[in-house]
Formats: sequence, C-alpha cells, structure tokens
Amino acid sequence: MFIINYLKEVFGAVKSLATGLRRTMYYFTHHKEIITQQYPDNRETLNFPERFKGEVVMPHDENNEHRCTGCTACELACPNGSLKVITQFNVTAEGKKKKAIDKLVYHLELCTMCNLCIVACPSDAIKMAQTFEHSVYDRSELTKILNKPGSKIMEGVE
Amino acid sequence: MWSFHNIANFVNDWLSQTFNPTLVTIIEMVIVGVCVIGLFAVLGLVLVIMERKVSAWIQIRLGPNRVGPKGMFQSLADTLKLLVKEGMTPSGADKFLFNLAPYIAMMVAMLLMAPLAFAKNFQMWDMNIGVLYITAISSVSVISVLIAGWSSNNKYSLMGAMRAGAQIVSYELSAGLSILSVIVLTGSLNINKIVLSQADGWWIFKGHIPVIIAFVIFIIAVTAETNRAPFDLAEAESELTAGFHTEYSGMKFALFFLAEYVNVFIVCAIGATLFLGGWMPFHIGNWQGFNHVMDFIPSSIWFFGKTFFLIFLIMWFRWTFPRLRIDQLLNLEWKYLLPISMFNILLITAMAIGGWYF
Amino acid sequence: MEGSTIIFYLLAALTLVSGILAVSTRQIFRAAIFLLFSLIGIAGLYFWMQFQFIAAVQIVVYVGGITVLIIFSIFLTQKAGEKMPKQKIGRQIFSALAAFCGFALVMVQVYQYTFSSNINEAVSPTVENIGNRMLSVGEGGFALPFEVVSMLLLAALVGCIVIAMRSPTETVNEEKTEILIEEEIDVIV
Repeated sequence: MFIINYLKEVFGAVKSLATGLRRTMYYFTHHKEIITQQYPDNRETLNFPERFKGEVVMPHDENNEHRCTGCTACELACPNGSLKVITQFNVTAEGKKKKAIDKLVYHLELCTMCNLCIVACPSDAIKMAQTFEHSVYDRSELTKILNKPGSKIMEGVE
Repeated sequence: MWSFHNIANFVNDWLSQTFNPTLVTIIEMVIVGVCVIGLFAVLGLVLVIMERKVSAWIQIRLGPNRVGPKGMFQSLADTLKLLVKEGMTPSGADKFLFNLAPYIAMMVAMLLMAPLAFAKNFQMWDMNIGVLYITAISSVSVISVLIAGWSSNNKYSLMGAMRAGAQIVSYELSAGLSILSVIVLTGSLNINKIVLSQADGWWIFKGHIPVIIAFVIFIIAVTAETNRAPFDLAEAESELTAGFHTEYSGMKFALFFLAEYVNVFIVCAIGATLFLGGWMPFHIGNWQGFNHVMDFIPSSIWFFGKTFFLIFLIMWFRWTFPRLRIDQLLNLEWKYLLPISMFNILLITAMAIGGWYF
Repeated sequence: MEGSTIIFYLLAALTLVSGILAVSTRQIFRAAIFLLFSLIGIAGLYFWMQFQFIAAVQIVVYVGGITVLIIFSIFLTQKAGEKMPKQKIGRQIFSALAAFCGFALVMVQVYQYTFSSNINEAVSPTVENIGNRMLSVGEGGFALPFEVVSMLLLAALVGCIVIAMRSPTETVNEEKTEILIEEEIDVIV
C-alpha cells in the first residue's frame, strides 16, 4: 500500500532524527566529556592519545647503540621520499665486510606521518615520537639525521 | 511597576507635553529606529556567542574562551575586526547592486520587526494584518540574496543565489500553511488578538496533535527559509565557498551575517507568538490561582524566553544534522511537508468548525 | 504641507523614478530590480491609504512572486553583467509614443469621470470584510469572479505542466508535479 509505506517512511525519518538529537543533547548536557586540550596553558601536563604520531625517531640505548641494520626497507616504503639511508661497509674482526648505516637522513618537511616506515622496519629500529612543536626559522633545520654521531648497531640485531 | 508598556507611555506623555504633535511623531520614530538598531546590535552579539557556545558544547568542545570571562566578549571582538576590515568590491561586479544588496537584507529584517509584540501592550505597529504582513515582507528577503549572487559576477555566488531562491520560494508554502493553521483557529491575522486568544492555554497545548504537526512543519520550513543548516545549500562552504556572499568582506559581509541572525530571531519570535503564546504567561484553563502566580513573571521575559528556546532548537538542529542535497531538499518540501501540511490544515479546519479543541 | 502629503510625494517619486529607470537601463537585471522598487513604491502607496491587506498582497504577489520569477528567468537565460545593445532611434520614438498614448488615454478617462463621494459608505478593508465579500453569492458578492479566476489559474497550471513535460508518450502516467520538480533540479544542479 502506497499510503502505509509513505507513513512508515515519515515515522522512520522522524525516529532517526530524534536519535541524532538525543545524542547531541547528551553531549550538550555532559560538559565533563570535553576532550579539548588547553594547549599552551597545560604544556607540562599534555597527554596524547597513544596513536598520535609526531615525528620519526630512532631510539638509542645507554651505550649509544641502535637497532638499524641499514636494510633500506623504510626508504623503499616511504611514499614521498622523506627517508634516505646512507650505508657504509665496516670490516669486521674476521675480515668480512658488513653493511651498516652511516646516516639515516630524515626530511621532516616532507613527512606526512603515515607510519609506513615504522611498519616496514624489520628490526623495530625506528618509531613515532609524540613531539609536535616542529617550528623552526630555517627549512634546513627540518632535515634531521636520526642516528646519533658515533652510534653503532646493537649486538645481535641482524 | 516597571514594564515596557509603562516606559513607552511615560516617554509618550512627556514628549506630548513638551513638543507639538508633528515633532512628537518624528521624535518617536527616531527613538523607535534607534531602539531597533540597538536591538539588532545586541541580538547579533548575543546570538553569535550563543551559537558558538552551543555548537561547541554539542561537539564536545569548549568554544571561545579567551576574550573576556568565559569568552563572552568574543563576538564583540569579531565585530570590531569586521568594522576595521576593508570592504572590497570586485572589479567585474555591478557596483550599484553589489553595494545595495546587504542594505536590502537589513531593511527587510528591520521591517519585519514592526508587528512583533515584545511584551504586553508593547508593539511598534499593531496592524490589522500582522501575520500576513510578516509573510509578505519575508518573501522580499530572497531578493537581496538574488541581487548579491548576481551582482558579484561569480559562478559560486550565482549558484548559491539560485539555490537560495528555489529553496525559499518552495519552503514559503509550507511555512505559510502552518501559519494558516493557527489563523484558522484564532480567526484573526492580528498578532495581538492571536496572543490574547491563548490566555487559557497556548495553541500547541490547546490544539493537540494537528497543531503540534503544524509547529514541527513550521520549524522545519523556517529553518530552510533562513538558510541555516541542514538547509544551508545557499552558502554551503564545502561546495560553494560561501555561496551568495563569497565576494563580500568587511562591514557589508557583517550586514548579511547580522541579517541572518536577526531573521532567525524574527522567525522564532513569530513561532513563539503563534504556537507558544507570545508574551502570554503559561496559563492552564480556569486555574485562577496558578494563572495568577504565572502572571508575576513579566511578559517580556516570557516572550524572550520562548523565542530563545526556539532559537536554541534551531541551533540544535544545525549542529546535529548533515546538509541535504538539492534534490532531497525539494523532495522533502514537495513530497512530504506540503502534502502533510495540506492534510493537516483540513484537519485543523474541521477542528475549528467542530470546536474540538480545549 | 502635511507630513502625510510629503510621504505621498516621496512614494510617488520612488515609483515613477524607478519605473523610468526600469525601462531606460540597458542591463536587464537592473531593469528587474528597478521594477521591483516601483512595485514596492505602489505597495507603499497602499499602506499610505491604509489598505494594508491590498498592500501585503501586492508585496506577496508582485515582489515575492512575479519579480522572483523574472529574476530567475534572467538567471537562466542571460549572461551576467552584459549590456544590451542600444535600440534603434525609430523604435525608441515609437515606444515613447505608445507609452504617451496609454498615459493620455488613462488621463482622459480620469478627467472625464466625475468622482462622486459619499454615494455609499466604503467598506472598511479588514480581512473579515474582504473574505466575506469574496465568497458571498448575494448582492455585491464576488464569488463568481473569484471562481472564474481560479479556473483561469488552473488552466495556466495545466498549460505549464504540458509545456514542461518531456514527451507526451513517455511520462503520462507519472505524477505530474514530480516532472516539474525534476526539471527544476536539472536546471539548478
């Protein structure tokens, strides 16, 4: 029946609209749920959601050692070329040549924080940090070298 | 006792004793004009901050909170910014019409203020055809949108103006029909008589379900007529930058902005007058004691309270619902609102003839 | 000179000046807007005469309805901001002559007719009186003309639908208003 369908449609529409209105009224009357951060005022006590991605960093331990093998998986994974791995060959004690990184160059100005490099890394050498105050006066300062000077690869990481 | 009626009478008496009648009329007109402009300014400031706060709370945000206590002076600061901004006219525009459009929008809003009853016995012009006057004048407001859209010489503006035109012309019908339903019950177009007819209860309670349906249709139609979300196709920022006022800046933009908010106030005031009793306090039939207690609250507070309740309702809609597409918009009007309100008005006419209301 | 007379002359000046501008401007959209002001001036004259109902109806019908339709048709057919070509001098003279003849005809009629007041008491133009007159079938009632006009409007509506229909064989059974709306959407979107 046309008229019954018509009325059903009208009532269905009113009901769904009322559902939406009830939800927004709930938010309107529950001010405690506000998640806005008062940023410059609470700079010390800022807390981020776990998944917030600020920039790519390479964690080093207390012996100035990192886990990067220089496999260039992150460089290949990066969609806009913000990572550049510069490798060198170290001669080990047995006289073998071993591939290691010289520099891991990171262009923060190109990075979109897509997290693909972190996923691609086989040895968990890089991760996303939650820093976000990246403003600098010169663009060249945004080009960073992730491994610290004098650092070397951790024992046992292949 | 201080009431608007007494103050107006006092001013009138004093002026009549001091000056001759022609001068009194001129001075009173100037006073009324200044009061209306003042009311506009206050309404603009209050409604903008109200909208921003309501939207923030609905979206679990804080809203403006830097300027003044709790951000209450934010809209004042915005007005100051708009005042000192340069009002530019694009070179390809029709300069005369481009500069005329915001003033037409403003004048229409001002004219609409005339028959509103702000408090008991306090009205600028108690005319015989109040409600018809309001529907007539509000149909002029589309002209300013059309002029602005055309004279900007910009495709987005033109598109926005055409959408606004189609929208306002079609939603005027169901708004008119739902207004008509109250007129049928009251038997008068005079705003004062409509308010007085609700002395034993507001129409929304006296007329039960048909009047409630008319009220809902009225609210939907006036939301569309004032070009507010979910019917803001005319200025849909994600599609048309800003629609008909894309090219406007500075004070000319501010006039459009102000006219929009004043129009919201006016349509809500009309809704409050027709369905919620205007300045009439909350009365229930013959409960003399209860009615008497309610009368202690001044009538202006009742009027503004009801109006701001309806404004809140419209803001609530705006920040809850997504925008409609143009075909959905026209479908809603021609396939749903108009048939329902036509059937509804038949029902209400039968009700009025049979006397089936309280 | 009374204040009311001054207001009359102001309204008359608005009506006449914008009427002249409407026919003399070369931008078609401006012509529509000046026509609008002219019609508003006439509505103002009705307000001045205290015929508030007629004034409101004038605004609803002419300003809210007809002018918006005119503006819409300009939107759909003309390019923005283009001036129309200047008319030939012969045409200008001819149209001025035609306008003058019409004016002269009206003025002759007005001067020949002896306006006699107080023949019968004027009906006060309240909505109740207008409504009763409009629908009464007795002496001085307008029920028949009213219904005839409604028939005329119906004929116009049917004509519009027939013109707006895409092809008569294809969409006869469909709801007719829907077609109209679809046309409108096609144009607007």
